[in-house]
Amino acid sequence: MAIVTPSATKWVAGVTTLVLVLASVSFVVPAAGTVSPVPFDDTVKTGGTAVDIRLSEVEGFEVPVAQVHFSRYRYVIGYYDVTTAAADIASPESARQFGDPLAVFVSDYATVSPVVDDDGYLRTQHNRQPGWVEASEASFVVGSSARVPSGPIAVPFSDADNAQSFADRYGGEVVGWQTFRERSESTLETRLAAFEASVTAHHDWANQTVTASDSLFDRPVSTVVGEDAPTVEAAVESAPANTAVYVPPGNYSVDTVELNRSVTLVGAGPETRLVGDGNGSVVHVRADRGAVANLSISGVGSVGTRRIQATNESVDWDTRVQLAYGRGDAGIVLDGANDSAVRGVHIDTPASGIIVRESADSVLANLSIQGAETASEGFMGVVLIGERSVVETSTFRDGRDSVYTHRADGSVVRNNRMEGGRYGVHEMYTSDVLVAGNVVRDNRIGVIIMTRPIGNLVVGNDVRNANFGFIPAGSDTYVADNVFADNEYGMDVSGDRQVYVRNTVVGNDVGVRGSSTFPTNVVVHNDIVGNDRQVESKLGPMRTWTRDGEGNYWGDLPLEDADRDGAYDRAFQPSGPVDSELGRHQAALTLSRAPMMDALRRARDDVAGLRGSGVVDAAPRTTPVRPDVLTTLNTTEETDA
Amino acid sequence: MSDAPPRTNDRQDLVAIATRELRTVVRTPAVVALSVVFGLTVVAVTAAGSGSRGGYVPLVLDLVPFVEALVPLLAFALCYRAVLSDRQAGELDVLRTFDVSRPAYVGGVFLGRSLALVTVVFGSLLVAAAMVPVLSPDKPTFLALNEAADSPVAFVRFAVLAVLFALATAAVALAISAAARTARQALALAIGLLVAFLVGVDAAAVAALASGTVGIDAVPYILAVSPNGAFRSLVFGVAVETGGAVSPLTALLGLGGWVVGALAVAVVTAWRPVE
Repeated sequence: MAIVTPSATKWVAGVTTLVLVLASVSFVVPAAGTVSPVPFDDTVKTGGTAVDIRLSEVEGFEVPVAQVHFSRYRYVIGYYDVTTAAADIASPESARQFGDPLAVFVSDYATVSPVVDDDGYLRTQHNRQPGWVEASEASFVVGSSARVPSGPIAVPFSDADNAQSFADRYGGEVVGWQTFRERSESTLETRLAAFEASVTAHHDWANQTVTASDSLFDRPVSTVVGEDAPTVEAAVESAPANTAVYVPPGNYSVDTVELNRSVTLVGAGPETRLVGDGNGSVVHVRADRGAVANLSISGVGSVGTRRIQATNESVDWDTRVQLAYGRGDAGIVLDGANDSAVRGVHIDTPASGIIVRESADSVLANLSIQGAETASEGFMGVVLIGERSVVETSTFRDGRDSVYTHRADGSVVRNNRMEGGRYGVHEMYTSDVLVAGNVVRDNRIGVIIMTRPIGNLVVGNDVRNANFGFIPAGSDTYVADNVFADNEYGMDVSGDRQVYVRNTVVGNDVGVRGSSTFPTNVVVHNDIVGNDRQVESKLGPMRTWTRDGEGNYWGDLPLEDADRDGAYDRAFQPSGPVDSELGRHQAALTLSRAPMMDALRRARDDVAGLRGSGVVDAAPRTTPVRPDVLTTLNTTEETDA
Repeated sequence: MSDAPPRTNDRQDLVAIATRELRTVVRTPAVVALSVVFGLTVVAVTAAGSGSRGGYVPLVLDLVPFVEALVPLLAFALCYRAVLSDRQAGELDVLRTFDVSRPAYVGGVFLGRSLALVTVVFGSLLVAAAMVPVLSPDKPTFLALNEAADSPVAFVRFAVLAVLFALATAAVALAISAAARTARQALALAIGLLVAFLVGVDAAAVAALASGTVGIDAVPYILAVSPNGAFRSLVFGVAVETGGAVSPLTALLGLGGWVVGALAVAVVTAWRPVE
């Protein structure tokens, strides 16, 4: 080799030495960059609700924010709520997943003269922007009258005296960061108990509301259509308040039936048919305690949405949504009709079935709503806007979304059947809703929660043959005891601090999809079995779906449980190339036992927050959580086959 | 080989011998093949782990056990018979007629072989590092990066430490090749030391802890005794900084000590100086 001459050797040695010397400079270059506040817009945002944020923009109030730099997470996390930041940092899981909080910065209201206005919102003098202060040096005013739409807020100050004078004026107590963190901490156990209590409270409220509406259907009949009045319109016009208008069987052509008094419009059953003229809505209820029952409605206008075409700046987002979803044609419109009820009504509609606007405590029960043949032609089965309602034991076929909500916080949608539409339940800007016991078949999405609300409850639903069983945005959603079977995607694990327990995810193309950038969701005690791909995870880092030594059931895996504690002895990575084939191919087991795999598995638990996307269950269960549900599902599958 | 030997100085001797060693290395297909296997293994581990899909720090953590096991193997394969072969082939005697000094000879062999070794180790690790931006998902440009979380600087430190580790193990292998009088002796010594480095010292440390012979305070020093332990201490203490309070200086002295000590042994045992 003539190339290797002494001078070449000198060169190689020289260059190599130079490279190594240069590389050694890395020891004097700081490996960790500096930690300083970044613009809030550049953070990965979590906490708060979309309503909080949009309203704060419109009404110019303050949402105190925080940003956290974790030692082992690539991005800076921005919290629209200081308390959530404190809670996240305090949890042992976040330390394991994202490392230590290197720095926490919070909004500093010390220099911007904050005031709490009559609406309870925090504003600064001359709309001045608060700066940042390190949380450890801040004083927090908790329990003052300052709030955002979703609840009370803590207000941070860099100066303790400033904090104290704020508290003197607006109430509350001044605490340091340490105390604030300790108070914000909540264990999974307490969160689960709170969720269960919330489910019970929602059911109780719904039961009471439904029972209260019973009296609307016990009203004496004052007017019989065809005997006391010639037309339905005339009958409701003349009927005294707190009485019923009876519509005997038959077809009734109507223009618009207006219930402007507290009366009940009741038919004989499906044989009582109100037929609209194909323009606009058929029945309007505009008084409290109005009711409609036991009849069928058709001839509804075909306008689903009266969306504003021009981008008129004077119309705010809320109005825009209301116009888009709440002003179309419907079989029945409840408009400012509190404590009203619709029961046992069949509606055949090319647009919406029932639109409920600002009608608190209304009840929609035992309905049967037939929408347009395709989702794009039709509109919503039920639209709830602005107030809480109960929608129960009803059937929705075709059309677009069976139940659509806009700021209908606290509503209950339970025990309905939804088929062939676009979405089963579609929540927009709506927090604290109970969606329970619904059966959804052949829709594009079973239940979808959008626009970052908080505290929704999705319990005991059964979604099959959809593109997506369930997709949530927002945070603190309780997803429990649902069945997601035979869908393209069973359930989506997204948003923040959601809790998924006891769900059965079977026979989907992809069982579970993990898709949050900053994974803080709890996924334990679920049965995720027999999906073509058990888990897909493309966004965010490696996440651990285990809490307090409790994981999920991924099927009968060929792994050891030597100590018989009900969990396999090693961590399982359902998203991994090898583990995902465990139990399906013998070769996967052999490969998984390679020393190399052992070494990589051990390494995997370090700095999870910086690793490639994936899912690890540190304590995969050896037995199903709900074996009876699984058995039933498997039997059905076999029968279907 | 030049036929008319003029008087040369140590430095020229050293370079000449290093050149000869480099030639030997690139002409030996088995060694080239081994280097390729080493490089491919590093790349394969990189691709198999989840670290490379996220960042440099997790990649370091993925690679540590493999580098710890494979670098000594490669170094030993390259060096454990270097001096011995020369001796057995009679080349040492020839070299001595040129009045080559022992330090120049050992230094030349070490330089030549370790140039090859360092190129393979450092090069493979650079390739592994280059896979990170390729395998990681695109980072949204609208998000501020938390610069404290991950940095290629950590990986560069790791690569430099791996080179230091390679030099230490190469020096040990060279000492073996100088001290051993037969191939069988060399093989036995090489395997014995490899086992001690990879398992024995750590096991002894654990055993000593378990029996209460030493306290946990002494563990950094025991770790510094083996090149592997010292390397590991440095990686976790200096490169990725997850190890907490290990004393990098002890470990650095340990690694450096192995290089100096082993080379000294090689110099002393290469041949007996003529009286």
